[in-house]
Amino acid sequence: MVLLSPVYFYLAIAVSALVVGLHCIVARQPASSPLPTVRFVPRGSVRITRLARPEDLLLLLVRVAAIMLTGLAFARPMVAPVRRPMIRVVLLDQSAAVRDPAGASDSAKALLRDGDLLIPFDTAARLIQQSVSDSVAEVKSRGLPARLSAAMIQALRAGSALRLRADSLELVIISPLEASAIDGATESIRALWPGRIRLVTVAAASDSAGRFTVEVQAPDDDGVWLAVSLAGLRGDGGAVRVIRHPVTPADSSWAIGAGHTLVRWGEVPEGSWRARLVPDTAGAVIAADQALVYPMNRKWQANPAAGDRIVARWVDGEPAAMERDVGAGCIRDVSIPVPQVGDVVLRLPFRHLVTVLASPCHIPLSVGPVSSDLRSRLEGSGPLAAGRDFAPMERQATPLVKWLLIAALGLLLLEHRLRRGGGVNPSDGLPEIGGSTQ
Amino acid sequence: MLDAVRGIGWPARHRARTTLAGPHQSAARGGAAELVEYRPYRQGDETSRIDWKLLARTNRVYTRVSFDHTILPTTLVVDATASMAFPVETHSKWRLARVLAVGLAALARDRGDPVGLLVAGGLGVVHIRPRTRRTIVGLMTDALDRAPAGQRALAPLLQQVTGTSARIVVLSDFLGDSDAMREVLRTFVLSGGELFVVHIVAAEELDPDPGRQLLVDPEAPGFRRPLTTKSRSEYLRRFGDWRATLARDWRHLGASYSMVVPETEPVRQTVRRIVAPAAGLSH
Repeated sequence: MVLLSPVYFYLAIAVSALVVGLHCIVARQPASSPLPTVRFVPRGSVRITRLARPEDLLLLLVRVAAIMLTGLAFARPMVAPVRRPMIRVVLLDQSAAVRDPAGASDSAKALLRDGDLLIPFDTAARLIQQSVSDSVAEVKSRGLPARLSAAMIQALRAGSALRLRADSLELVIISPLEASAIDGATESIRALWPGRIRLVTVAAASDSAGRFTVEVQAPDDDGVWLAVSLAGLRGDGGAVRVIRHPVTPADSSWAIGAGHTLVRWGEVPEGSWRARLVPDTAGAVIAADQALVYPMNRKWQANPAAGDRIVARWVDGEPAAMERDVGAGCIRDVSIPVPQVGDVVLRLPFRHLVTVLASPCHIPLSVGPVSSDLRSRLEGSGPLAAGRDFAPMERQATPLVKWLLIAALGLLLLEHRLRRGGGVNPSDGLPEIGGSTQ
Repeated sequence: MLDAVRGIGWPARHRARTTLAGPHQSAARGGAAELVEYRPYRQGDETSRIDWKLLARTNRVYTRVSFDHTILPTTLVVDATASMAFPVETHSKWRLARVLAVGLAALARDRGDPVGLLVAGGLGVVHIRPRTRRTIVGLMTDALDRAPAGQRALAPLLQQVTGTSARIVVLSDFLGDSDAMREVLRTFVLSGGELFVVHIVAAEELDPDPGRQLLVDPEAPGFRRPLTTKSRSEYLRRFGDWRATLARDWRHLGASYSMVVPETEPVRQTVRRIVAPAAGLSH
């Protein structure tokens, strides 16, 4: 038997001791004798308190039992489960980012044993505790992006639930670990897992084109240059060139090269754009599965021509970026203003947006895998997480509580019946003292 | 009891203002044998009062003047409230009140006085107007054959007996409305009525058992007080002061006050003490 909140049990013991003590203290008035001239006796207290052998032992027993059962119920007892040396919690990525979901499931199946937990996740995570080996084969992709934070939170909850059942917990993440699965809270949630994590990387759907490098022609303090650098994509001679200045004949001739992608992201967009009559503000822009929520001044309006493909839209649906094939290459025009104030260009959403918009044409838009640094931080080091390191769950199911409370309620009813029927009247011997003063 | 009081006299303390002939000296002057004075005959005097021998010797007509003798209608007022049922085991206060009431009634009846009774308690009121019939004492004995209980104010009832009595005997512990009773009886005494106050106090009231820790008023069960060594001393002082004040007030009113304690003296002696004139006759 394990008590999840033992303080209530100790409190019940203290209250029971107090009840026993009070039961032994008899406070009553002596038997009264008539005296017609009692009015000449001065006022005074007639209650006599003394220690005595407890009477009504059945009543005392019922009271103590009711208190102890109530305290035990609040202490949330659990039958101690069989403890295992190690339990594995497997986070299985079932998002669209996984190229081979069946292969990922096989990887999970190879790791899972009876008693382990499986948490398939995409934008949501669900916990599978029973027959995990069979359940893993039924995990199907729903075509949604991955969100590792949601899966990590589910893993932490599972860790709290398993803290009494395992000496250590191993968390396994089976995922391509695309950067798009990471959000601003992922690392802080990862820090809550008190041990190292095993990362099993599977092939990503966007891996067919391999990773790419981006040449950015912009000042060093430019936001796009900074985002590409932080994403680890910057390099000369790659298939993608991002220019932040008006296009030059050299850029145009480079763009028609085979496999080249020229991203024209200047202050004044070129191509199928015209100035808005009345500039307005858009609250967010979306490209692929990445969104940047930030108020941006929108000065340009798209005027798509034949052959233009929309790769980013404003939150109201208007195109924010378009691309078209030019020769053997591709030109992508972006009308999204780069924030000049604040730290938005340093934050992950902007970095992901830039990564998507700076990716080569004709491959699925993706922000790519997480950086090696982030991967190391996710993996962590040291021993596996110990079960005792997890915080107890606030609302852990304790089936005994219901029955304990019912038993306590029954005892309270019995106590009431004993008190009424047994002739034990709390007001016995405590009549009102007083009357007129003589 | 009747044997015990036989031979005890109960003369009037004052000249009675009643008119019927009886054993007591009347305040009115008439032609009785006890001479007071001679006075010259006046027209209208009864001729039977003329002293004929004096007329023969002096040739002057004088009439004899003397006090008349009359009766004293007596009413015994007996307190039958719960406080008289004390001690609980013996009811000695009530028993003594009954014995004294019957004894005093017999005493008065033997002297030819009409005797009446007023018994008032929580269970009701019994009022027997003063009579001289021989069975009156037995009637009163039956009326007193009851247990005292409850509460009852005696003062309003006393007004019923002051008009029909020349002598009133109150037997009570005076733990009720004694002040109001005194106010009612003040007029009675001032108009020449004789008032005997018999204060019945139990020995347990004079000296409560120290072993009793909690005391309760039998007429007000909610009134409870603890009896400790300290409170007992205070009780004795307060009760003594109250008794002294009560006796002084009744005597100051003109009543004959007697405090009696059950089972401390023979009843005959108690009766003698009650009826003994405290002072000479007054006019």
